[in-house]
Amino acid sequence: MDFLFLGTLSLVVGVFLAIVLPNNRVRVGVNLASQAIACVLILAKTIPVLFGGPTLNGVLDWSYPIERIDLRVDAVGAFFLTFSLPMTLLGSLYAVGYLARDIRGRRHVGTHFALLSTVQISYVIIYTVQNAFAFLVGWELAALSAWLLVIWDYRNQKIRFAGFNYLISTHLSLLFLVAAIAIMHGETNSFQFQSFQDFLGHPSARRNIAFVLLMTSFGLKSAFFPFHTWLPRAHSAAPAHVSALMSGVIHKAGLFGMLKFILMVGMPDLWIGWYLIGVSAMSAFVGVLYTITQRDIKRLLGYSSTENVGIAGIGFGMGCLGLTTGRPIMAALGFGGGILHVLNHALFKCLLFYGAGAIYRFTHTIDLEEMGGLLKTMRWTGPLFLVGSLASAALPPFNGFVSEFLLYLGLVQPDPQLGSARVPLLLVVALLALVGGLSALSITRAFGLMFLGVPRDPNHIDPKARENPFMTAPMVIHLIGIAVIGLVPAVGVKLVEAPTQMMLELSSAPVEPLSAYVPVSLTNSLTLVAALFIGITSVLVMLRFSLLPKSNRSHVTWGCGYTAPNVRMQYTGSSFSHPMVTVFRDILKYLTREDLPKSVFPKDGHYNTHCVDSVERSMFKLLGDGEEVVTQVMRHIPEGTRFSYWLGLAALVLLITLFSLT
Amino acid sequence: MMFYCLLAFHLAVVMIAPIYLLGIINRVKSLWAGRRGPRLNQVFFDLVRLLRKTPVYSVVTSWIFRIAPLIILSTTLMASLFCPIVPGFAPLGFPGDFVAFAYILGLGKLFLMLSALDTGSAFEGMGASREATYSALAEPTLLLGLGTLSWASGSQSFEDLVVTHGSLPLDMTLRMTIAGALFVVLLIESSRVPADDPTTHLELTMVHEVMILDHSGPELAMVQYASAMKMTLLAGIIASILNPFSAGVSLPSTALAEIVSLALIALIAVSVGLIESLTARLRFRAIPLFTLSAFMAVVVALVITAANQQVSP
Repeated sequence: MDFLFLGTLSLVVGVFLAIVLPNNRVRVGVNLASQAIACVLILAKTIPVLFGGPTLNGVLDWSYPIERIDLRVDAVGAFFLTFSLPMTLLGSLYAVGYLARDIRGRRHVGTHFALLSTVQISYVIIYTVQNAFAFLVGWELAALSAWLLVIWDYRNQKIRFAGFNYLISTHLSLLFLVAAIAIMHGETNSFQFQSFQDFLGHPSARRNIAFVLLMTSFGLKSAFFPFHTWLPRAHSAAPAHVSALMSGVIHKAGLFGMLKFILMVGMPDLWIGWYLIGVSAMSAFVGVLYTITQRDIKRLLGYSSTENVGIAGIGFGMGCLGLTTGRPIMAALGFGGGILHVLNHALFKCLLFYGAGAIYRFTHTIDLEEMGGLLKTMRWTGPLFLVGSLASAALPPFNGFVSEFLLYLGLVQPDPQLGSARVPLLLVVALLALVGGLSALSITRAFGLMFLGVPRDPNHIDPKARENPFMTAPMVIHLIGIAVIGLVPAVGVKLVEAPTQMMLELSSAPVEPLSAYVPVSLTNSLTLVAALFIGITSVLVMLRFSLLPKSNRSHVTWGCGYTAPNVRMQYTGSSFSHPMVTVFRDILKYLTREDLPKSVFPKDGHYNTHCVDSVERSMFKLLGDGEEVVTQVMRHIPEGTRFSYWLGLAALVLLITLFSLT
Repeated sequence: MMFYCLLAFHLAVVMIAPIYLLGIINRVKSLWAGRRGPRLNQVFFDLVRLLRKTPVYSVVTSWIFRIAPLIILSTTLMASLFCPIVPGFAPLGFPGDFVAFAYILGLGKLFLMLSALDTGSAFEGMGASREATYSALAEPTLLLGLGTLSWASGSQSFEDLVVTHGSLPLDMTLRMTIAGALFVVLLIESSRVPADDPTTHLELTMVHEVMILDHSGPELAMVQYASAMKMTLLAGIIASILNPFSAGVSLPSTALAEIVSLALIALIAVSVGLIESLTARLRFRAIPLFTLSAFMAVVVALVITAANQQVSP
């Protein structure tokens, strides 16, 4: 375990030095070096574990009341550590470009980098400790540092509000987690995960309550529907690299928690699988539906995170279902596809957020309706963002397709045991297809508005703006990951083999490694498809430009007879999503403010539409008017009579009886 | 040997049939309107004429606009490699390839929409928006239909899941239902009446045609050819779902399967032409309902399959 201590020590030193050193450049340089050293030290040990090496164990003796903290780097933990640490390092590198002006200026940027290091420390704690108390500390450390990172521009009231919103939501998640741990501690009188495992392994009503509490907490952390409302706000307020890290990396801790506690439960009950599939399918659908109406690119990407954790969650649910019904192939494809989607999402979502940040620095806006034509001026970001978008719509030959392909394959596996219960699984296939179509719509809209056409607003053309290599380099590295997994899916399957194997070993039936269920022939076929596609395209390109007439003739866009078009006449984002919005108008609520011109001599009018999150609105309504509802109910209970005393007493007795029976 | 014969047949159908498919549709419409109509291979000459022309690009467009028609054509060609024209044969086959088929076609569609948005025209953006909406709504029907067939046949490979098993009346009902639903998908995906009217002259009422207003010369030829090829592929899937014979068993039955598939594809072209002659385009508001009806048909097929499995496990 020395490598963990040394790595953490390096991070702690980095935090310390980033704060105390005198100059911003020195602070940042030293901090990045410390992060890099920690990554090398820790990854050197976790990568062998990820590729099937033995689990690493260690003990940290501590004083009363914790006494000892067991540390363990198993395949699942190693998987999460192996992508989280370097991606956060890349995010910090990106921050050098994104905060370039602050680094040159007088503001103490060291704190920001120190917080990024703190986030790294929290990964080490969350992904390795086997003690609930230490786990909670790591959880809280991640939450607080993420909050402080979000409110970097704290002078802006909206950003403070978004940060506060995030702080409350993440502590609601903590509340559920504490409640679950309290139940488990009450049952086992221990904080060790080892003893929790004994309790969770035996079905009981309290076990189920604890499990649902845990899943709610992790759902809140990973922004599953209906707990996603904090996410678009926080992502739109935070600096781009913080949004990227939160969406792609930090909140993957929720999905890690799910896997970890499923591992403790052992063989999952039937309801667990269906519950996970149901919740996740809802998240995937609602998440993608909200992406199509957003004007703010970072809010859009935030909702897309809800969609993608939903897709990964469908995989986990399917995996549990496969374990319960004794179908290792379904379990393997479910967990394998789900875990791979976690990595894939981190790869393309970070790339997209970095792209959004680069666009913000270039145009000084995040409003899609004010952009346009950026592909001609942003020569790096444009193609990179396009690839990220294609990957996020799960289109071949990029990585998102690989994980979704595994999930599809799992969902259509023949299974005589499930019988007609396959109907809902196939309906999930239809839902995934719809989600794919909707996300294609949404990314076409976003990419088209930002990069294609001509700039819509002359105020957002900055002739002096340049792309910063510190911001481009992390995007290129993410692109390489996307391309490698997309073109050679065998690499992706290999990466998730050991974690999936851990999940599969919960099964009572004999299991084989993931490569037995996703044979090399299959991944090779996918590679062949990608290679053929690239081959055919290149041949066509060559034929086109060698044989057929080339030309430099150009003309204005055909205006259908109208001869004086201007840039504001390009199609807008809200018009683009309008046909789809009318189909789902019961879910996508629009807030309209209007003051239309009236009478014979009208004054200036205005008309505003704004797509609001219906979950958030109803939540605020409940919070705002909730006491009124309670008061209304209370008014009907007669005051001070014996009747109400007896009624209250009876209710209390009933509650206690019910509780003690369970 | 058999494999190479089938491959040659497959590629020939994929390459040549699109021209005749459009030819048959146009001929049926002409005959219905009391005209003689153009030659069956007129589309071929039109495409050659376009290929020889020098294109004119809009000043607004970027490299996306130049590369998109090539990607659209290559995705359609790629998708054709998974797609069965006769049951039991496709050049490439692996478990779950029907998902790859749908997603590769999706990639082409996405580039078509991007090239429309690249011109910065309000009309082309409108077309892209409609295309995105209706094809997203049609996607679940396609994948659920094929998924249901995969359940019924116990195979995850596209070429095998369309093979008919026995002649259970239930199986035939299932196939007819799914084929009907996929026919609706075909009408939407290849922009035919009642989802879209390819002959309309008013930009405001177009879907596919308005997206390619600024394409000219070779680019226009490639997009139109790819679009016709996509229709052929979807017709080929429907034909192979309905085809009672399958390839690869013996030479006569393979030949029979090929003839039946070709006849069915021609029949589909005739029905598209008849629908175009007899009905008007739906209002755009009604198209989601049109897709919903197809989806419901597939759900019925799914329920039939579930019931079938209960009866004969």
